[in-house]
Amino acid sequence: MRILDLAYILALGAGIGLGTAHWAVAGRPAIGRVEVGAWTAWPGSGSREVDPYMRAYLARGVHLPLGSGEGLELIAERDDAGQPLDGRCRYKLSGATPTARGWTIGITDGDGLPFRLPLARTSFTDSEIVRPEDGSLSIIAAATPEAGNWLPLPASGGFQIRLRLYDTPISSQTGETRVANLPRIARIDCR
Amino acid sequence: MSAVSHDPPQRRHSPLAAWRPRLRAGFTRFVMTTLAGLILAGIVHIVTILAIPTLSRHDAAHAYRVLGADGHAEPIPLPGNARGLPALREADPNVVTAICSYDLSAGPMRVVARTGTPPLGLTLHRQGGGVLYAITDRAAIRGTLEFLVMTEAQRDERIAADEEGETSRELRVVSDTEQGLIVARVLLRLPSDRADAEALATGVACGAANQG
Repeated sequence: MRILDLAYILALGAGIGLGTAHWAVAGRPAIGRVEVGAWTAWPGSGSREVDPYMRAYLARGVHLPLGSGEGLELIAERDDAGQPLDGRCRYKLSGATPTARGWTIGITDGDGLPFRLPLARTSFTDSEIVRPEDGSLSIIAAATPEAGNWLPLPASGGFQIRLRLYDTPISSQTGETRVANLPRIARIDCR
Repeated sequence: MSAVSHDPPQRRHSPLAAWRPRLRAGFTRFVMTTLAGLILAGIVHIVTILAIPTLSRHDAAHAYRVLGADGHAEPIPLPGNARGLPALREADPNVVTAICSYDLSAGPMRVVARTGTPPLGLTLHRQGGGVLYAITDRAAIRGTLEFLVMTEAQRDERIAADEEGETSRELRVVSDTEQGLIVARVLLRLPSDRADAEALATGVACGAANQG
């Protein structure tokens, strides 16, 4: 009976221990996450003192996160109302971007890869977008063509919007960034 | 009659009464072993999380160890390249990335980057995760970024070799691992900048620092 007990303890320990470890680092870990409006960032991932969960997540694939002094990556999987982003809808990105030497905004799948769409426009840089007279940002993300700054979306299914800021002072104080300083993501309509 | 009517309940009660302590002991044992299993699970979880970066052979530091061996940064491989190297995950398509791997067992490494119009950033990624150092071209002096990567022992050696009373002008970055990657990223503002950006990124020189 002792052996049975020991086997039960070992099986439980190994099963739950390994299972939860795999689950914790299969995606970007919840620890170290900073949420500002619809945007999520992991500012600690590019520092010397990266937390063990992020370190394990990064070590499981070929990742090279942006350094804290180099830039910051923000990921949105939901719109401002909290609804998951869906290719069947149209979205308007507007507002401001934080002070940065340059930025890029792109559409990717859940793994951070660009979609293979007929029109190879997966992202915009700050120099590429057309701005109105007041200099504000306005990008439409939709599966069907739009006038102005148009980011094509897949016909259906979830996607991510990734905003990468280069040489920005906000990477060290991401938590204090106000929602108004980041682009808003508003759903226009859905098919 | 009374004896007949009294006997069966006694017989029914006695096995239950005998089983109750056994059931209780079994339940206690189950709870104790489950608790022990959960404590072991916690330990296994923590050890696994801490061991993954050390044991992983699929991270960027291992995958790109061959890049930059000839003293210049090499662009990151595209998916399906001839060398069989894995592509970088979550890469920005508007950025040109070049990599120089370092191995400090033979001595410190000198990194020299020329700057240009497109924004350039250099980062030092140690093996096992963590960005040790990041510098952008805004810190360039006369269009050049230059620093030395060394271990703590090599830095102590260099400080000891410094001229008495003179401060060294070189920028020394200490890496706590002997191996790692130097990553040069150049932002492509416009697609037409690609040639310039590639020249800047691959123009980063990383060779052995000559002593003295």
